[in-house]
Amino acid sequence: MELIQLAVPVLLKGLWVTAALTLVSVLIGFNLGLGLALMRLSSNAFAAGFAKYYSNVFRGTPLLVQIFIFYYGLGEVSLIRDNAVLWWVISDGSRCAVLALALNTAAYTSEILRGGLMSVPAGLVEAAQACGMSRILRFRRIEFPLAIRQALPAYGNELILVVKGTSLASTITVLEITGYAKRLMSQTFAIFEIFAIAGVLYLVVNLLLIAIIRSIERYLMRHEAQARQAISTPRIDGSAVI
Amino acid sequence: MKLKVLSLLACLAASTGSALAAEGELSIGTEGAYPPWSMSDANGNVTGFDADVGALLCTKLEMKCHFVVQAFDGLIPALKAKRFDVIISGMSITADRKKEINFSVGYAELANMFVAPKGSDLAGVTDVDTLLKSLAGKKVGVQAGTTHAHFLEKRAPDADLKTYDTLDQMQIDLASGRIDAAFADQSALQDFLDKPDGKNFQLVGVQIKSTFDPTLGEGIGVGIAQENTELKAKIDKALCALIADGSVGNASKKWFKTDISRPCN
Repeated sequence: MELIQLAVPVLLKGLWVTAALTLVSVLIGFNLGLGLALMRLSSNAFAAGFAKYYSNVFRGTPLLVQIFIFYYGLGEVSLIRDNAVLWWVISDGSRCAVLALALNTAAYTSEILRGGLMSVPAGLVEAAQACGMSRILRFRRIEFPLAIRQALPAYGNELILVVKGTSLASTITVLEITGYAKRLMSQTFAIFEIFAIAGVLYLVVNLLLIAIIRSIERYLMRHEAQARQAISTPRIDGSAVI
Repeated sequence: MKLKVLSLLACLAASTGSALAAEGELSIGTEGAYPPWSMSDANGNVTGFDADVGALLCTKLEMKCHFVVQAFDGLIPALKAKRFDVIISGMSITADRKKEINFSVGYAELANMFVAPKGSDLAGVTDVDTLLKSLAGKKVGVQAGTTHAHFLEKRAPDADLKTYDTLDQMQIDLASGRIDAAFADQSALQDFLDKPDGKNFQLVGVQIKSTFDPTLGEGIGVGIAQENTELKAKIDKALCALIADGSVGNASKKWFKTDISRPCN
């Protein structure tokens, strides 16, 4: 009990850092990922090739390795140390973690969105073209909304992975949930209890995230819910259809 | 026959207490990344002052040494989980740690010091109180789970403490200017100053002895599981003999160029 009183306020401090790391990296990562997905699907061979290699490199290497390369590796390059802007990013553990997480999640997001964009029926796009919609309008009104509807379940998964990935920031001095948990561990040696509480905090964040994604999903799929309801409504003679 | 069964049972009882010690082998947990105390190479060979102390101890106890390398902040949990029999890893004896594990007599004692860039405000400080006050708002590196970390958490709460899993990582950040100062024991800092990376740095001229604050411990000892009282008695006796005959002192001179062995009382 005493331990909970000691640990929970400290770990809650870490929770805000975890939330902030996730939020900023997802904001950057989603936009980058969308850009990469569009590059990948464009007819420009150079852009498509770049996006493909980018996603392969970042998906094919562990996040921890990427974080170490950005933090310890780039920190040794004098070119970066002499550049005020680059050093501002690389010098700080949390900014470095955001950089690595954002670039990493961008790679996964680009694949998820590419799948979504490819699932948009060609007929709909052609119809929009026939109506005289410009490319941008077509993307905004037809392709993107349909793609995101397809991609959302997989993207929800990716968001959860980002939340869990933030725990690796503790290896580069960032005090988020895991960082504080490690510090509490060496103060109290109550490893099981401390990390159990830390685990519960991650779980709560992720359950909340799942609930939010679900409700967005339900909102985007509301036409299907109505259709299903219509089918399952009992007929007048009382015999229910599956 | 009965005797055989009994001795078998005795063997079994001993082996549940400490699986490896029963076979005449002493498994030693050490960090392996804390020069010159404990360094491990890519092949897993451990060298350094602690490796020498371990080897001396094993010879005295007529056991075979076996080193297990693991990050410092995980050593005590691993000892409690019986992953090895003892910890020899430059570990200071502190009240907090004593709640978890037992310690042998102290075998060494070092001064704790700060290192800072040459010519910085911190570098010129000459007394402890001014030093601790001037740490407010400064980024100070310490190794996770060390007495140094606990000391600063208690005595310099306004410092922006950066904790590192290994000393190497802390030295990289010190060299790259991410942190304003680092706190560790003198030997570890001297090791950094002797490297090319350390050429623009200097020791802050304040030695903080373990008598200054209880968080800094009572010298450096061998960590032993609490229930293993028999092993503690054997190790204490062997260590005292090794300190008295100068073996530990000689090992210390080899690695630190000075005798840091702590007289056994």
